Amino acid sequence: MKTPVVITGVGTISALGHNVDQFWRAICNGESGIRTLTCLPLESLRVKIGAEVPAYEPYEFFSKDELHLLDRFSQFAVISAREAVADAGIMAEELTDAACIIGTGCGGRVADDESYQRLYQQGKTRGHPLTVPLVMANAAASQVSIHLGITGPVFVIASACSSSAHAVGQATAMIRSGLVDVAIAGGTDAPFTYGTLKPWEALRVMSSDTCRPFSKDRSGMVLGEGAGAVVLESLEHAKKRGAHIYAELAGCGMSADAGHITDPSSAGAARAIRAALNDASINPGDVDYVNAHGTGTKVNDVMETQALHQVFGEHAARLMVSGTKSMHGHPLGAAGALELVATALALKNGIIPPTANFTEAGEGCDLDYVPNQAREKKIKTALSNSFAFGGLNAVLAVRSIS
Amino acid sequence: MRQDIENSVIKFIAKQKNLNPSDITSESTLDELGVTSLEAITIVYDIEEKFDVEVPDDILDKLDTVQDIVDGVAGLISENG
Repeated sequence: MKTPVVITGVGTISALGHNVDQFWRAICNGESGIRTLTCLPLESLRVKIGAEVPAYEPYEFFSKDELHLLDRFSQFAVISAREAVADAGIMAEELTDAACIIGTGCGGRVADDESYQRLYQQGKTRGHPLTVPLVMANAAASQVSIHLGITGPVFVIASACSSSAHAVGQATAMIRSGLVDVAIAGGTDAPFTYGTLKPWEALRVMSSDTCRPFSKDRSGMVLGEGAGAVVLESLEHAKKRGAHIYAELAGCGMSADAGHITDPSSAGAARAIRAALNDASINPGDVDYVNAHGTGTKVNDVMETQALHQVFGEHAARLMVSGTKSMHGHPLGAAGALELVATALALKNGIIPPTANFTEAGEGCDLDYVPNQAREKKIKTALSNSFAFGGLNAVLAVRSIS
Repeated sequence: MRQDIENSVIKFIAKQKNLNPSDITSESTLDELGVTSLEAITIVYDIEEKFDVEVPDDILDKLDTVQDIVDGVAGLISENG
């Protein structure tokens, strides 16, 4: 019998706003946070849109002293973790021995970009001493531990777009094993720098229109930024302190395609989905809703639909499947965490997030994608899919607590 | 020149520690000012950029007071000159 693990706190900062209330309200309204970028000059960029955190003023969240050691991706991680912890109503002393596992796809790109500009463009001969502590991939996890006083196991997981789903899976495993009772898990990314966007353009997977997962006229993914975090704890620990429970984190399934570095495989995705169902002891026929990876690229959306058919057979036709990246964009290492929060809130509130910007179903996309309008429906069991470049897949299974 | 160096060193320390420059004298020690090692190397970076000198690693460990830094930088500048 596995130790039941539950979600007791959620936090987000994203294109849909600075907190979970704003995030969920936008999702229920099918509002997209994809807009023209404002945080960098656009003249030499082919793709000028993104899912940027709106009206973000770092000084509203941090003091000057704190900020010079926080790259944008670390700021987002701390903001989302603080909200999740406040939401969980957990005391500082209960966090001391907790774990903190934070995913990131690309680390501190802002300081990285500034450093390269100084060295290559301005011809300076010295690097800045704060560059390394700002850009290192573990900076976000470390800063969350520093800001929240977490002294237990703390580390970063980097598996591109699956980073935060892997982080949640890892944290769940650590609670089940008895290593910790409480964990903060999530992910963060802030990829809007010139040096990051140009190579993404070169991959030719980016839409310059908007993100329309599973639609016939979909034109690619839209990069986003932000962070998501959840507080996970053993059911026993949560009950003992009378915590409010969103849902059970019932299982996590992981797989690697071991195929191509960028072309995803439906067999690999299906293996991760099956593994999550097995881990959670869920029958495929009991799944109500899937928060899809749904990037809006030609390749992903067909591959993901095929994987769902492979796993669910006839039941696939009864599944509700939505791509919330149509609203919060694709914030890489934060995506899995934001989507887990959306999935947990769908269970708690009985509202299924829509796929925004949906026009008509694309070829090979033949499921119920909950087009454009959120749907009121009580559900008990849901999955959240994350499939990364590099063929690394992580699927989280969430179940309502009866 | 020496005064210029001292003013700059004090300005960089004040910026790093969020202090008023008038609270820092040439006798102040970095310990008293609560300068951590990461802050110290950031202050040294600012000085290097301003005066175009290279402060060797072995000098860093010997810096105790503001005066030590001023003396060290003045020495490096005269070597360069």
